[in-house]
Amino acid sequence: MTSTGTVEGTSQRFWTRIQPLWLGRALALVAAVLLIVYPLVDDDLYYQNMIILSLVFAIGASGLSIISGFTGYISLGQGAFIGLGGYTIGVLATRLPDSNIWLWVPISGLVSALVALLLGFVSLRSRGPSFVIITVAFLFLVQVIAVNWVSLTNGTAGMTLPLPTWDREIANWPFYYVLIGLLALQLLMTWWIRRTKLGMGLIAIREDETKAATIGISLPTQKIIAFMASALVVGMAGAVYGYYLTFIDPRGMFSILLSVQLVLSMLIGGKATLWGPVLGAFFIEWLNETANNDWGGGNTRLFLFGGLLVAVVIFLPKGILPAIESAIQWSRTRGKAGLVGARIGTGGSLASITDRVQLVDRSEIPDRAILEVKNLRKHFGGVKAVDGASFLVPEGSITGLIGPNGSGKTTIFNLIDDTIRADAGEIWLDGQRLDGLPSWERAHRGLGRTFQITRLFREMTVLENVVAVQRTFSLGQLGRVAVSGAEARSAEELLEYVGMRAFRDQKAHALSYGQQKMVELAQILMLDPKVILLDEPAGGINPVLIERMGEMIRELNSYGKTFLLVEHNMPFVLGLCDPIHVLARGRNMASGTPDQIQRDPAVIDAYLGDDFVLDEKVQP
Amino acid sequence: MNELLQTLILGLLLGGVYALAASGLTLIFGVMRVINIAHGAFLILGAFVTYWLWDGFGVDPLLAIVLTTPIVFALGWVTYWVVVSPVRTAPMASTVLLTFGLALVLEGAMGEIWGNNSTAIRPAYGDESFTLGELFLPKAQVYGGLIAVLVLVLLWVVLTKTWLGRAIRAAATNPSSAELVGIKVAAVAALVFALGIAAAGAGGAITGVLYPFVPGSHYQWIARLLAIVVLGGLGSLNGAVLAALMFGLAETLTSAYVSPAWATAVPYAIVFAVLLIRPQGLLGTRLREDAVAA
Repeated sequence: MTSTGTVEGTSQRFWTRIQPLWLGRALALVAAVLLIVYPLVDDDLYYQNMIILSLVFAIGASGLSIISGFTGYISLGQGAFIGLGGYTIGVLATRLPDSNIWLWVPISGLVSALVALLLGFVSLRSRGPSFVIITVAFLFLVQVIAVNWVSLTNGTAGMTLPLPTWDREIANWPFYYVLIGLLALQLLMTWWIRRTKLGMGLIAIREDETKAATIGISLPTQKIIAFMASALVVGMAGAVYGYYLTFIDPRGMFSILLSVQLVLSMLIGGKATLWGPVLGAFFIEWLNETANNDWGGGNTRLFLFGGLLVAVVIFLPKGILPAIESAIQWSRTRGKAGLVGARIGTGGSLASITDRVQLVDRSEIPDRAILEVKNLRKHFGGVKAVDGASFLVPEGSITGLIGPNGSGKTTIFNLIDDTIRADAGEIWLDGQRLDGLPSWERAHRGLGRTFQITRLFREMTVLENVVAVQRTFSLGQLGRVAVSGAEARSAEELLEYVGMRAFRDQKAHALSYGQQKMVELAQILMLDPKVILLDEPAGGINPVLIERMGEMIRELNSYGKTFLLVEHNMPFVLGLCDPIHVLARGRNMASGTPDQIQRDPAVIDAYLGDDFVLDEKVQP
Repeated sequence: MNELLQTLILGLLLGGVYALAASGLTLIFGVMRVINIAHGAFLILGAFVTYWLWDGFGVDPLLAIVLTTPIVFALGWVTYWVVVSPVRTAPMASTVLLTFGLALVLEGAMGEIWGNNSTAIRPAYGDESFTLGELFLPKAQVYGGLIAVLVLVLLWVVLTKTWLGRAIRAAATNPSSAELVGIKVAAVAALVFALGIAAAGAGGAITGVLYPFVPGSHYQWIARLLAIVVLGGLGSLNGAVLAALMFGLAETLTSAYVSPAWATAVPYAIVFAVLLIRPQGLLGTRLREDAVAA
């Protein structure tokens, strides 16, 4: 690819890409202006009311999108935060009647965020369907408390807030404009989260939470921040909503239908998009009002919401905005050959890699073990998957871990990086004890691992997959831009090295298995761990790629990188690894150089077999 | 002492009814990995169908189960093919939303047909009791509990002793391998869904005689059923039965000895606690997560 070709290609892409984007922005601007001037030019209270409610639900759905769209935790309890906001302002305003009621709006946001913190802790223990169930239970629990804690909430009788004190002339304006301000705040926050490391980490969590932990993403911190962010502005909007309604009761404020309306708004507009939830909220609220007033209300409304929910899940799982986007994408790429069918590049040399991967002179490596596993145990019920395995990985070595199927190799990898928690045993890396630490902290201390079946973040591009790793953790770092120029350059160099640079803008799910393996290697190199654990690097890929994989491991090793690999391809292992540990029944039965292993009668009996011929050994 | 014994017996009978209603939910999850939020709505539908048969044709409500169950079974079968099958392999969160939508549609439909006022089925023996020494056991509860156990035993026989049961268990363990050895997994899934819904309908037919209901009662029921299934371990039939008995006992004991107002919070609190402390429930197993292809 010549440089002029790249420039032309880029500029062409630039123009086709920019037009829909600018069109979208212009539409959003027009809509915003119309929204702002509307109450000034028309005093129709029916529509003002509809817009005010739409604004509240837009804020709720946009907040929901942070945990459900980005992080992948679907919540049917989001409405509870609107209710909590309403109740906070209700309780405070009735107890302290002389205060300025607007003061309680930010307080309500804080209360909601604090309760969301609790839900965030819940998300640390459960995910997927159990989490959805928990959110429903959470909503009902809050409702039951609001019903039964009569001294605080006045129970089912509800609470009446002070009436607005301002001039009737301006009527709804304060509610209207405060909500517009809050929506702007919410959107700004969503936009900011999406473009920072925090947002990228959240999307990684959505795509594959276990994997995200192994590349250094601190799950609890990120999830809890996301949960609080999803409720903060929503609680404030709930407070304004409560003030606007002037009457709140548990049935209305904690109705499951309110939560359903928020989920539906987010889904129909497009989750994980900036404007989708807003669009959805306005559409659904308009439908809701129309159903209530023109189509008979009550049961019709249930039909409508229920039917829409079913229809959206079946026919429009991605939502309106993403559907439009993929339609544009489809028309643009029509008739072009897919890039993913292209051959993997021949790969660059390590010398071109600048500073991301620390390279050292082999002669300076001390003679010591960098990774030490002592007496590791893991039992699944009565099955002793790992039963007292102990071995060393010398610094600067390529250590092999072999053994029959079911001998516990992958389980040991899972125990080393805490994908599964060990029952007992010690793991030491570079003088630091790892057992007891969660995956991400092990990654920060210098552990990197690939999976037997590749686990990339499917909806992210190849480049994003590589940049998503977090070598260290700090709160400040989460606020930095997701992909900085320097990181993009390092990632590109690494992708060049593994021969995948041409694929940098492809979504990971579009790649073949072999291509994914290469990207996963680049991803781990970006982490630049002290020890690289490879789970079957030569499994399921073609001979040319196996050879290339061997070359890369050898070259990285020549610059001081330490490897521990599990592999069934014997010629590959025997040509590459030294020392080799042999596992059987969850513990190691032999260790030594390739030659020693091949001659060990116990190993031949347990694994290699009598007919294993040494001469067939080929150099990978 | 007598009062306690009476409460315990009534709790166990109630637990039997709960077990029947929850068995379908756990069965559907076990085979299809779908959490059917509409389960409570189908239960209420079972109650309404029973009401319709009793009120319109004078059929004995507890005997009407013989008619109610096939009707609800057929509805479940149709529902599967129309709504659930297109998303059977979608992420679980989507199917939760889908079945939630289904629940709302059913609620709306029942409200349209039978109205949103409290409905009660009151057979002639509704006020009569068996007297055993000093124990008073309402006839409806005794009959209801025994019928529930009978249906549950039938379901258990089907699942463990028949070819269909083996096919169901094969499809649950490994759908693609089941397909390879000649089991039509989609057809089995449809049957399981319909069976599960029928069990809910049968449960609804019994509870309809025990308590008054409105279309919106399904929220309360799904909360209770989810609590039972989650407590027993999602997908485990034995776990669901065990948890249902515990639940029946806990509820009757709470309303007899503690305040009934806070008793409504019990299922939610249990869901919360179980999913946090022991996410796999009493008899459930944890799925292996590390080896799943993304």
